Amino acid sequence: MEIDWGLFADLFGRTFTFWWVILPAILLGLIVGAIPGFSAANTIIILLPMTLAMEPEIGLIFMVALYASSRMGAGIPAILVNIPGTAGAAATPLDGYPMTKQGRAQQALAISFVSSVFGGLLTTILALMAMPWLSQVAYHLHSVEMIVIMLFGISLIATIAAKDTLKGLIAGFFGLMIGYIGADVVYETPRGTFGFLELYDKVPLIPALVGLFAVSEAFAVIEGESILTKRGMDAMQKAGWQETWEGVRLAISRWWHIIWTSIIGLVIGVVPGAGAAIASFVAYQQSKTFSKTPEKYGTGHLDGLVAPESANNGVTSGTLIPLLVIGVPGGATAAIMAVVLQYHGVTVGPDLFDSQPELAYGAFTAMAVTYAIMILTVLPLARYMSRITVVSTIYMAPIIISFTLVGSFVPRAYVFDMYLALAFGVIGYVARKTGYHVAAILIGVILGPLLENYFLRALRISQGDVMVIFSSSLGNVMWVMLIISLFVPMYLDRRRKAREQALPTTTDC
Amino acid sequence: MSNFDNDFSRRLFLKGAGATAGASALSMLPIQAAFAAAFPEKNIQIFVPTRAGGGADRNMRAFTSVWKNYLKTNFEAGFYPGAAGRVGYETYMGKAKADCYNLIFGNMGPEVLNWVVKKPTFDLKSFLYIAQVDQDPGIVFVSKKNKKLKTIDDIVKEGKKRTLNVGVSRLAHPASLGVLALGRHTGAKFNLVPLSGGRNTRAGVATGEMDFGALPSGSVVRKQKQFDIVAVFDKANPLPNRMKKAVVVNDHFGMKLPPLYAGARAFGIKREAIEKHPDRYKVLTDTLQKVYTDPAYKKAVEKTKAPWKYISYGSPADCEKYVEYITAIGQEYKSLLTGKS
Amino acid sequence: MSDENGQDSGKPEKRAAGAELVLPIAGLLFTLYYFTTIINVPWTAQVSAFFVGNILIGLIIALIIRTAIQVRRGEATLSIAPLIAPKEYVPKRLALLGLTLGYVFFIQWGGFTVTTFFFLLCAMLLLSGGKKKGLILTLSLILSVGGYFLFIVAFNTRFPKGPVETMLQGVF
Repeated sequence: MEIDWGLFADLFGRTFTFWWVILPAILLGLIVGAIPGFSAANTIIILLPMTLAMEPEIGLIFMVALYASSRMGAGIPAILVNIPGTAGAAATPLDGYPMTKQGRAQQALAISFVSSVFGGLLTTILALMAMPWLSQVAYHLHSVEMIVIMLFGISLIATIAAKDTLKGLIAGFFGLMIGYIGADVVYETPRGTFGFLELYDKVPLIPALVGLFAVSEAFAVIEGESILTKRGMDAMQKAGWQETWEGVRLAISRWWHIIWTSIIGLVIGVVPGAGAAIASFVAYQQSKTFSKTPEKYGTGHLDGLVAPESANNGVTSGTLIPLLVIGVPGGATAAIMAVVLQYHGVTVGPDLFDSQPELAYGAFTAMAVTYAIMILTVLPLARYMSRITVVSTIYMAPIIISFTLVGSFVPRAYVFDMYLALAFGVIGYVARKTGYHVAAILIGVILGPLLENYFLRALRISQGDVMVIFSSSLGNVMWVMLIISLFVPMYLDRRRKAREQALPTTTDC
Repeated sequence: MSNFDNDFSRRLFLKGAGATAGASALSMLPIQAAFAAAFPEKNIQIFVPTRAGGGADRNMRAFTSVWKNYLKTNFEAGFYPGAAGRVGYETYMGKAKADCYNLIFGNMGPEVLNWVVKKPTFDLKSFLYIAQVDQDPGIVFVSKKNKKLKTIDDIVKEGKKRTLNVGVSRLAHPASLGVLALGRHTGAKFNLVPLSGGRNTRAGVATGEMDFGALPSGSVVRKQKQFDIVAVFDKANPLPNRMKKAVVVNDHFGMKLPPLYAGARAFGIKREAIEKHPDRYKVLTDTLQKVYTDPAYKKAVEKTKAPWKYISYGSPADCEKYVEYITAIGQEYKSLLTGKS
Repeated sequence: MSDENGQDSGKPEKRAAGAELVLPIAGLLFTLYYFTTIINVPWTAQVSAFFVGNILIGLIIALIIRTAIQVRRGEATLSIAPLIAPKEYVPKRLALLGLTLGYVFFIQWGGFTVTTFFFLLCAMLLLSGGKKKGLILTLSLILSVGGYFLFIVAFNTRFPKGPVETMLQGVF
């Protein structure tokens, strides 16, 4: 497929003239992204009467801008109050929240914004440039290969459980078992549901997210006056504009990290159904694997924040490719965009580049322009947003509890889901108090059903032959990469420790 | 587009947004106040046992957008997906009041097959379908990119050499049963792979992981540029212009399969509601029948790009007959549907 | 991420390992229950869960053995103290849990606006020890009414609706 760069450049300039559509969409996207229970997909559904009333081009720009900005919005509460707005931001608090507690919320937000914007912008352009090749990814990443990608994500459990591997693994495997609640995909047999119909369709992610992170956090923070440490509070009191610029500078110094982790997101986003959660977990895991300071991950490490934020925005660009090239949406939001365009008589698929190139390229230019406008509008807000962390827990804890619990009601309108969030809150609280990582449980809950789906599909295709997981050449290469990425850090760590022990204590660094 | 167009669009956008906001505000007014106290006095609740945005949602919205004019009330939809429709039906039977204000809108084919696989907690006789909305036959389709399999004959021929993987929405589905019956008749080996829904099934076929797929025709016929429909499980090809390559399985292979309507969407109700409120039930059935002949309904269906030809009224008796016959087919293939042979 | 496990490796105090066993035991019980639900089902529904479940049971047994050894060596105790520490917050935390349960229970009838107002009011007063009543009352009112306008009126979101929302439906 030939890319018409002239048209792309022309459209890029023209899309800027639609700032009056993009700006409100960005604002709305940031809000709905930040509140658990809301998402770009269900906001587009809510706003369907409005999107349908728009011209297709404007409708598309509005939806794309909302989609891209909601991804960034989800990272904001993840950093500030340890509550990811969506599952795609579940890896963001691992290093983002420790930074907040140290009083570096402003820097963390700036790093997140810059990583998101540059990751998103870069992958949008890359997606367009490499579309002929990227469109082939979905033809090669089938169930078997996806099993290995899922395991890359799940291996993060072991990585973040470095302090006490046994307890970390227990948390992760407990999460996986919880993720297996619900009907199996082949024969629809309900399993482990305690007789609740509401659990037949698997454990809903938002109540799990709300419970494990938000509710448990709210019950834990009431012990202090603020979520910040004493030093963190002092730092926040003195904070000014320079902290935002420091964040920008730090993020830019990680430019190479932004590039390669956003590409991980792009490639995973191209696979229909894979999603942002798996991409950010894999990016975090890979980032730690290749880091020179892996022991600092989880304590407020910059790369640990850059990786998931770049990757989940890479996914946003990636999901456009299957939609436009093979006519199959990469995720729920892309599917709803296709429905809206279909209403306008636009059939989304490979022919769109010939029949209505301004719409096909328009999807990419809208995303690129959104990112460009977003950095200008959001960055100055970092200073004000970060002030939320100094709010006393007297007010913060009840607000978090009530709004996130209601947020868990929104996707399915089941009161049951609020009780479920509360139950996860109890699990999360016990985990926090006894040294288990809530993120490890959540990784299991999110990735467990996905892994099982791909595994059962592979088994079904092979008619029960377990060796199917080693049946593809690409898959086997990925298995080797997985093993290397799991064992090389262990080996290097051991060697480092051995060297440290062997060296006399007089050496200085 | 010139700057003038751009400005014009902006005004339109703002106007559109304003109008929409106004319209939504209007739609929130208590409509029941405008109508007399006779049934219905309040909104009708529709339980949908599948996800929002799916085929049932689309069909239901098109139908109720016209039905509301005759019934003079609004409809509110609640979506209860899970376990192949079981969650929606169990929720409806468990929670909905038997007052004719609560209906269910499902797909009789796969959902009845589901009861064959596993009995529901409620008595099946306490529930009945009151109006079938459409009849969408099951079809076999291939990706246009598939170089080897272009026709149903290619599929059968290849299936005799090796087991072919068939993407299906779920196992207990009329389209899946059609493929199994075809395999049994021709000796071709087909391995059904349930992919949870039409979208995933199309993705499985498009990406080449599946050799071919079987779904209701409605969800594939709109994607003519990506897929070819090569066979149809019906008495005749209902859309010869849109499914040019499709052969009728019975004619082509000398089979005697009854029509396998993979999409047979219908409204259902608790029997108790009819017994308690026969007058209300009459209002419901009298008004809904008027929808089928209303040009506005045809317009609404065509807007969803679903073939108007598939819209076909089925009385409660027709529905009951369909349920009996799909149950019988389900019993025949029960071992394959449950994994217990 | 807060990681308050109640331990301080620097101190010679014995580890309260009992608390660490609470989650694994819950996991063990859940896994055993899960197994009972998949005994008579096709193997496709069993394979992943048996695989993961058995690994989990193995890990939990390993933890129990490790804890037993530590207790025997006198390095740990079976205390569950970290779970409830610091003790002075136990009544407050339990009361907040009770309020939260009440919130979820009543919201289905009371609707979002009224129930949220009362929850915020009571929970904030509880945590503040009855101080700053005026500020808390204003804040609860602004947040619940603001939430109503933002989520229910502007976004038309499926929030739990009660008498207030139904009554105001015709107005906004």
